[in-house]
Amino acid sequence: MRAKINMYLFEHAVNSLFRQKFKTLFVVLVLSTLIFLLTSVFFISNSIKHELQSTVDALPEIIVQKLGGGRHYDIETSSVDEILEITGVSSATERVWGYYYFENAGVNFTLVGIDEFEEQYKKSFASAAKELDFSKPTMMLGEGVESVMDKNYYKEYFNFIKHDGTLKRVDIGGVFDTQSELESNDVIVMSKDDAREIFNMSKNMATDIVVKVANEDEIATVASKIKLLYPDVRVITKDDIKISYQNIFDYKSGIFLALFVVSLFTFFIIIYDKLSGLSSEERREIGILKAIGWSVGDVLKEKFYESFIISFFSYMSGVVLALFFVYILKAPLLQNIFTGYSQLKTSFALPFVFDIQTLFLIFFLSVPIYIAATIIPSYRGATLDADEVMR
Amino acid sequence: MFIKIIISFSLLFGTLNLGANSFTKSATIKPQLVQKGLQKEWCPVCGMSIEVYYKTSHTSKINNAHERQYCSIRCLAVDMQEYDIKREDVKVVDAATQKLIPAKSALYVVGSDIKGTMSKISKLAFASKESAEDFSIENGGEIVDFKTALVMAQESLGSDIESVQAKKTKQVYPMGEKIFDKRCKKEIDINAYLQINELKAAIKEKNFCGELKEGELQSLSLYLWEVKRFGDLKKIGDVITISKDEKCPICGMFVYKYPKWAAQIFYQDTHFSFDGVKDMMKYYFEHKEGISKMLVTDYYSQKAIDARNAYYVIGSDVYGPMGDELIPFINESEAKTFYMDHKARKIVKFEDIEEKEVYKLDE
Repeated sequence: MRAKINMYLFEHAVNSLFRQKFKTLFVVLVLSTLIFLLTSVFFISNSIKHELQSTVDALPEIIVQKLGGGRHYDIETSSVDEILEITGVSSATERVWGYYYFENAGVNFTLVGIDEFEEQYKKSFASAAKELDFSKPTMMLGEGVESVMDKNYYKEYFNFIKHDGTLKRVDIGGVFDTQSELESNDVIVMSKDDAREIFNMSKNMATDIVVKVANEDEIATVASKIKLLYPDVRVITKDDIKISYQNIFDYKSGIFLALFVVSLFTFFIIIYDKLSGLSSEERREIGILKAIGWSVGDVLKEKFYESFIISFFSYMSGVVLALFFVYILKAPLLQNIFTGYSQLKTSFALPFVFDIQTLFLIFFLSVPIYIAATIIPSYRGATLDADEVMR
Repeated sequence: MFIKIIISFSLLFGTLNLGANSFTKSATIKPQLVQKGLQKEWCPVCGMSIEVYYKTSHTSKINNAHERQYCSIRCLAVDMQEYDIKREDVKVVDAATQKLIPAKSALYVVGSDIKGTMSKISKLAFASKESAEDFSIENGGEIVDFKTALVMAQESLGSDIESVQAKKTKQVYPMGEKIFDKRCKKEIDINAYLQINELKAAIKEKNFCGELKEGELQSLSLYLWEVKRFGDLKKIGDVITISKDEKCPICGMFVYKYPKWAAQIFYQDTHFSFDGVKDMMKYYFEHKEGISKMLVTDYYSQKAIDARNAYYVIGSDVYGPMGDELIPFINESEAKTFYMDHKARKIVKFEDIEEKEVYKLDE
């Protein structure tokens, strides 16, 4: 049983760490900070990726928008019937939505109109449709909207200013819960009729049309048929949106990448410094140990324990700190890079995504490399004659 | 005289407000409704509002007594299949004056830019030749007589019904079902009514379902009349379910990874799942005895359908997990659409699938 841990050597390793208090402390500090940074970056980007993915997955397969002069115009609701006739389409729904600028707070709300009995194109709206009272003007608010209105003393209702300057009073029905914060923090859900009234939109018009296709292989065919049917529309498929979301994400994660490269670079400089040689004190220590009868293996074992304890401890504390920072403190400073979709900032509760792969990646980037960086120079020292080392 | 002034005013305002394409099929004056009772607002065939589609409205007499008013010539054509309707009795709304005139003497502008009511091609009637010509200059279309227009309506009836039906199954019935479940008292006796417009009038009058908008009322009535009356929505709405350990007995691949292509054969006490119709057919030719049920996945809706009643397309540019496939469809028209879209070789029914041909797909 050679693999058994030699408790004497282990004890010596611990004692040796405590003997060099400041050096140990310094190494732990630097190593933990690096691991903490790396892990936080990975945690945040994983969470955001997850959030974007769930947003994209909830999207309809095809969105049809009418264009005129390159700008987005309202589309006739009669187009829904014609789109429904296309084989392969499982449902088509007209959407009524837009932005409402609330001057007092300087924020934009996203107003979404839903119909009580139509098929909801988003899961979160289906629950809102159940709770919303369609018999009188009522609305459901996203959490961010609710707090903004509350700050402006709109606790029971809100007055929307219509196109002709008159007011439209809409009661606040409650806050609707959603899976994804990114998309719905600034959303107000109300009936289509109310939304049309606020936007000054006639009854046979809609903002755009969402189309669901049961078989995803057919999305391209259906999209091209819609394009043929209406030459003046823009047909956006799920893949298009996925790509543009991905672009935003990639652009922003470039900043993370820079951070990642810098911290990794720092880490390897430290490693290089260690690898390039032992301090004379360390050489002497190895010499003395050999002189009192330690074998090369014993020395290496002791060094292994020492470096393993220090790097593993730093790794654990770095990861725990990162977990705490990202998921409990909600990543202050770092998350600011990702907000800025609209005036009303999304509150951004990062969903907890535990990614074993990331943890392994960081583990193998730090612990074995540090151990190697300690053991290799020690081996060089230990293979020399004891008197030569001490001389 | 008074009416003329109103019309010229409305025309003037129309052109001023909305530009050239201001024509609307709804009544701009008080519509003439010839049917009796509360149901007079709606067409007895399809249940749509006559006021909204007033300018394409037709009336007829059945059994020389009951007057019926339709939303369009399409519903008249449907009703003519069922009842003996004399052409002399048919009246139509003049799209210019909005008055009822005998259809026999009316001139129809067909195929104009105005959208048809329940039909792809609109057929609008005019009493005078001048107004018909004026209309066709502005909106296109050619001028024909009633006989021709009716023949056109009858000829396109099949395809018109099909396209309206697509909308109904995809959108109207599910919406109607939701309204019925959420709002209605369940005591509505659908069989007590002879026509959809009677049902509609009763729902509105007796307040079975609370306040409803016209569109909601129409969806609800259509659902009750065309679906609920014959039992509930057909439960073919299920997809094929496959457990994670099922392998295709032909190729040995896990089937759950390819839900889009799943097919199943059920025997008395066991069943097999396949990752495509091709493999299912190979198995079927070897083990034909004792089959209780065969299911395939409809390409467009991704729902489970009966394999024996499905249509199969061979030689398209769409490939399954095992390459060239027989792709199943619930009906022939969808199979044809796919055949055109994906450059396929041919469409076959289940009993016409030959063993030789199935194996040829692997070459």
